[in-house]
Amino acid sequence: MELDYAFMVRTFGILLQAIPVTLKLTAVTLVLATPFAFLLALARIYTVPYVAKFASVYVSVMRGIPMVLQILLVYSLLPSLLNYLFKRAGIAYNIFDLDTIWYAYIIFTLGEIAVLSEVFRSALGSVGDGQIEAGLSVGMNRRTIYRRILIPQALVTAMPSLCNVTVTLLKNTSLAFMMAVQDITATGKIAASYGYNYVEAYLDVFLVYLIVCSLVQIAFRISEKHLGRFRHASQTSG
Amino acid sequence: MRPFEPQLIPQYFVEVFPYLSVTLGVTVSVIIFGSLLGGVIAWGKISGGRVVRSLATGYTYILRCTPSIILLFLIFYGLPKFVLEAFGYDINGLSRAVFVIISFTLLYAASSSEVMRAAYLSVDHGQYEAAVSIGLSSFTALRRIVLPQAAVVALPNFGNSVLNLMKEGSLAYTIGLIDLLGEGNLIISRQYGGSALEVYTAVGLIYLGLAFLITRSTMLLEQKLLPQKTRPERIQK
Repeated sequence: MELDYAFMVRTFGILLQAIPVTLKLTAVTLVLATPFAFLLALARIYTVPYVAKFASVYVSVMRGIPMVLQILLVYSLLPSLLNYLFKRAGIAYNIFDLDTIWYAYIIFTLGEIAVLSEVFRSALGSVGDGQIEAGLSVGMNRRTIYRRILIPQALVTAMPSLCNVTVTLLKNTSLAFMMAVQDITATGKIAASYGYNYVEAYLDVFLVYLIVCSLVQIAFRISEKHLGRFRHASQTSG
Repeated sequence: MRPFEPQLIPQYFVEVFPYLSVTLGVTVSVIIFGSLLGGVIAWGKISGGRVVRSLATGYTYILRCTPSIILLFLIFYGLPKFVLEAFGYDINGLSRAVFVIISFTLLYAASSSEVMRAAYLSVDHGQYEAAVSIGLSSFTALRRIVLPQAAVVALPNFGNSVLNLMKEGSLAYTIGLIDLLGEGNLIISRQYGGSALEVYTAVGLIYLGLAFLITRSTMLLEQKLLPQKTRPERIQK
C-alpha cells in the first residue's frame, strides 16, 4: 500500500503538540473525580443511609451507559441549560464563549467518579480491619488512621487498577473531539480530512496514543516501585 | 431553552427499539469471532514458543493502547484501500457492520485473551496432572477438568468485557452504522436537532436495560456454576 510518508512525518509532528491537551484532559479529570469518588467509596463502606444507595445506583447507571451517549446527552443539554440558568440569574456571561474543554472535564469526571469509587472501595477493603484496631489501640483518631495507615496501604493495592483506569480514561478522552476539544484525535481528524489522507493520519494518531499510553504505564511502574515501601508483609505477592 | 418533554420518550423508545437487533447482532458476532481469535492469542501466550509468546503479548499490549474509535477509523478507511491494492477487490460497498465487527473483534480478542489466560492459569496444574494420571487423554483432561473450572473463574471478567464491548460498540454510528444510537441520531437530524434529549434518554434506557441483563445473567450463572468449583475442597473437609 502506497503511503504518503512525507505527510505522515509532518502530521506526526503536529500531533505531538496535541499531547498536552490529552494529558490535561486525563489529569484534570482524575484530580476532579478523586475526592467525590473517595466520599462515595466511604459512604458505601460505612453504608451511610441514602448516600450508599445513591452511590450504588450511580455506579450502575454510569457503568451501563456508553461514553458517547453520555457525551451526546450532556453536551446537548448542558450549554443551553446553563445559558438559561445564567439568564434567569441575571449573570451577563455568554456561556457559549466558555472553552468547550470544560464540558469535557465535567462529562469525563462524572464517569470517572463511578469508576474510581469502585477502585477505592475494593482497595480500602483490602486493608485488614486489624490495622484500624491497631491504630485505635495506640490512640490514633480515625482521620489519622486513614491518612497514615489505611490510605498508603490501600494505594499500593490500588496502583495496578489505577494504571488501568488511567489508560482507559486516556483512550476515552479521544472522544473529546465530539466537543470540539483539540486533542490528539481531533487534530488527527483535521489533518485527515484536509487532504483525504485518512489512513496516514489515523496511523499517526494510533502511534501517538501508543507512545503516550506506554509512557503513562512506565510512570505508573516507577511510582509503584516507589510506593512499595508502604507494602505490608501480607501484601508482598504480585 | 426548549422544554424537556419526557412524555415523548416512550414514542422514541418504540421507534429506536427495533435497531436493538443491529446492536445485538454486531455484539454477538464480535463475541464469537473475538473469542476465537482471543483463544488463539491466549494459547500463544500460555504455550507458545518465545516468538509466538512475544507476538501474542505484543498484540495485547498494542491493542490495549488503541482507542476504539481510532481503530474503527483505521479499519474503515484503511482496509478497503489495502484490500484493493493487495488483492484487487473493491470492498468499499460492504456493509458498515462488517468494518465494525472487524475492528471490535480485534479489540475484543485482546481483552478476552487476557481473561482466558488468567482463568486458565488460575486452575492448579495438579488438576490436569491428576486427570492425565487416571488415564484421560490430554484433550479430555482439558475439556472435562480444566476448562469447566477456568470458565467459572473467567465469568465475571467475561461479563465485564461483554459490557464494555456493548458500550464501545455504540461508536459504530461514527462510521455510519444504523444501530440504536445511529437511528437515534437519524431521528434527531430529521427534526433538525429537536428532541435530542428525549431520544438520547430513550437510547440510554435501552443500554441500561442491556447492561442490567448482562450483569444479572453473569451473576446468576456464576452462582449456578460455583458449587462445582468448590466441590473438591468440601471433600477434603
